[in-house]
Amino acid sequence: MSDERRSSSVKVDANDEVLQWVTFKLENEIYGINVMQVQEVLRYSEIAPVPGAPLYVLGIINLRGNVVTVIDTRSRFGLEPCDVTDNTRVVVIESEKQVIGILVDSVAEVVYLKASEIDDAPNVGNEESAQFIQGVSNRDGELLILVDLDKLLSDDEWDELKHF
Amino acid sequence: MAKALAASKKVMKNYLSELLTDEVPKLEKQTTIAVNKVQNIVENDRLEALLKNVNAELDIAPNKVSTQKGLAQQEIIVEKTDQQPQNEVELITQKSSGDFIEKTPKSYRQGDFQVLFFDVAGLTIAVPLIELGGIHKVDKTTSLMGKPDWFKGVMLYRDEKINVVDTALWVMPEKCDETLINSLNYQYIIMLNDSHWGLKAENLVDTVILQQDEVKWLDSPSKRPWLAGLVKNQMCALLDVDALIVLLNEGSGINQLD
Repeated sequence: MSDERRSSSVKVDANDEVLQWVTFKLENEIYGINVMQVQEVLRYSEIAPVPGAPLYVLGIINLRGNVVTVIDTRSRFGLEPCDVTDNTRVVVIESEKQVIGILVDSVAEVVYLKASEIDDAPNVGNEESAQFIQGVSNRDGELLILVDLDKLLSDDEWDELKHF
Repeated sequence: MAKALAASKKVMKNYLSELLTDEVPKLEKQTTIAVNKVQNIVENDRLEALLKNVNAELDIAPNKVSTQKGLAQQEIIVEKTDQQPQNEVELITQKSSGDFIEKTPKSYRQGDFQVLFFDVAGLTIAVPLIELGGIHKVDKTTSLMGKPDWFKGVMLYRDEKINVVDTALWVMPEKCDETLINSLNYQYIIMLNDSHWGLKAENLVDTVILQQDEVKWLDSPSKRPWLAGLVKNQMCALLDVDALIVLLNEGSGINQLD
């Protein structure tokens, strides 16, 4: 291989950025969120309901003196509700807008994915929730659905959450 | 339960006929009568009637009918208006209103060709073998949120990501009640050409070599572009795979075509 070709190959690899994703499960599907947006993962604790809150808000929790709004991820993703188990977790995330918690069935692991390993999701359907999907990736024979947290709520909904 | 299932399958067997016999305009009824006089074979008559009804031109308002003759007349009118610039009226013809889409002739439109028959909820569908990308066994499909009901999700096959279509829900959504959906026993994925799209199938019926005259071709623009024609003997739909891929890529369900 010539030097020129070798340097070009290295360049391609350098552009193939590696990102870390925290994976969680909902209804037997595996989702991934960018690790840089995850602040912490909490065991399920009592979530205090807020009267008059939108349907996608489960309630609030007290996280070391700070109030964190917890989103009903299942309803947001169009899934049926399910009972809380020992594996249920609240993932505290920091989006562009603010800090919120998302309730998930379980948290699995942190995986490394190259940008080249991520494909676009099929461009089918114009429902709001279709926008949440940033991409998909084949991870050890399982499809990982990568979620764009910033699109989890609309601008109006993010504004609404500030009042909690 | 078995009785209900059999009844539902019977309904589905007649589905194609029902699908193609809605909205019969008077003009087409007259055409059908004329055809009946020429051809006495009952099956052929029925097929002709079905095909006439499939033609999308039937749904187009009379002043927009774009027959060859009509287009020629419109062109003449345009020339005339060019000669009279003081009365400029913008004429929008069928020909000028849409993008020009060159329909390349299919390779299977010459000589004999092979098709695969598969069935879904009692409805038999044919796909030209030359446009068959492969057949896979149904495996775990990961559903994605916010997608239409007919899009069942993504199935991994080796390194390939297959977009799985619930064929019954795509082709005949109005027939898919809960009983029918629960009775479906999908076993195969029929891959469309070299695309990532795969149609779910219950059974693979047969492969048959067809001659050109064994298919009633739908060459004129139709409101069902996914339908290449009807196989006369089996009275079933022959898929236009490329057109179907385009529709699926656009995310169009069958009802969005009307």
